[in-house]
Amino acid sequence: MTTHQIAPATDKAAMYIYCVARAESNGVFGPIGLEDKPVYTIVAGDICAVVHDCRPEPYQSEDPETAQNWVLAHQRVVSAAEETFSTVLPMSFNMIVHGHAKDDAASNLQSWLAEKHDKFTHFLDKLTGKAEYGVQIFWDRQLVAKALVQKEPKLREMRDEALKKPKGLAYMLQQKLAKATREAVETQANFYVEDFYARIRQCVNEVRVEKLKKADGNEQMLLNLSCLMEKGDSALGNVLEEIQETEGISVRFTGPWPPYSFVNVG
Amino acid sequence: MEPQLPKCNNRATLVDLLDRVLDRGLFLRADLVISVAGIPLIGATLSLAVAGTETMLKYGVMADWDREIRALPRKRLQRRLAEKATAA
Repeated sequence: MTTHQIAPATDKAAMYIYCVARAESNGVFGPIGLEDKPVYTIVAGDICAVVHDCRPEPYQSEDPETAQNWVLAHQRVVSAAEETFSTVLPMSFNMIVHGHAKDDAASNLQSWLAEKHDKFTHFLDKLTGKAEYGVQIFWDRQLVAKALVQKEPKLREMRDEALKKPKGLAYMLQQKLAKATREAVETQANFYVEDFYARIRQCVNEVRVEKLKKADGNEQMLLNLSCLMEKGDSALGNVLEEIQETEGISVRFTGPWPPYSFVNVG
Repeated sequence: MEPQLPKCNNRATLVDLLDRVLDRGLFLRADLVISVAGIPLIGATLSLAVAGTETMLKYGVMADWDREIRALPRKRLQRRLAEKATAA
């Protein structure tokens, strides 16, 4: 086993874990952790965990700014670790390992790293040279609906017919048109989702489908993806540029991220 | 198209970061992780104003259970899209 800093006070009865990496260097990162805590590494064989010492309790706050700063600090440390170790497996927020009467936090952590050694090594190998990118595709549903009514003969006819009719009948026709338009829009949505997904899938190593989120104004989110690909590869960017040329479609492309979405063991 | 880098002061990418840091990443074994009253707790209450939309995120549930439940429709969609993409 390798040495580590022994923690004397209760302020160090537990350890906050930021990420796991290959133990290529004795990382001492300085006070860049949550609450400016000093960040360092705990080593177990050829892998290590990036940590800071803390009290045996989760970070909780009702104050949004405090919570936000913690989350940003978490990412700050993971980023710094990426610069040192090039490939890291980021932890989720608030993964704090405690110590028992028998084993202190460091020993528990080392046992856990040893237990997960092969799994973590597998992930580290798989993720070397790669990064995560986020892709969100939105559409202006109203714009697309309008265009469909204009383009599709059946819908256009319904619309034109409704204009000619007296009030009561016109209303009924409008209702029919609305229903038919909704169905056409749904069909279009399905087509776009499958088409965009296939084109994106072709130029990256792995794709994860994420939950759709509420968007602003007229925009509706169609697709929310996490993509794993070679850092700096341009194929995905090119495909997204093409996709963005589709009428009513807009794309949000973020990254590179540490591979949060691709380390779920289970 | 160039990716928009995740910058700390960008409101939009803060939401992207929260999705990742709070919901994904590696999880520590349940018996090793600090919890409250034996329940693994991700105890962050966050209130965000993102482009005028107020979003309250509250996590106070069993991490594994929550992930499993919320993954259900996503897994089905993922499978279906993957099948179509291979057929394409």
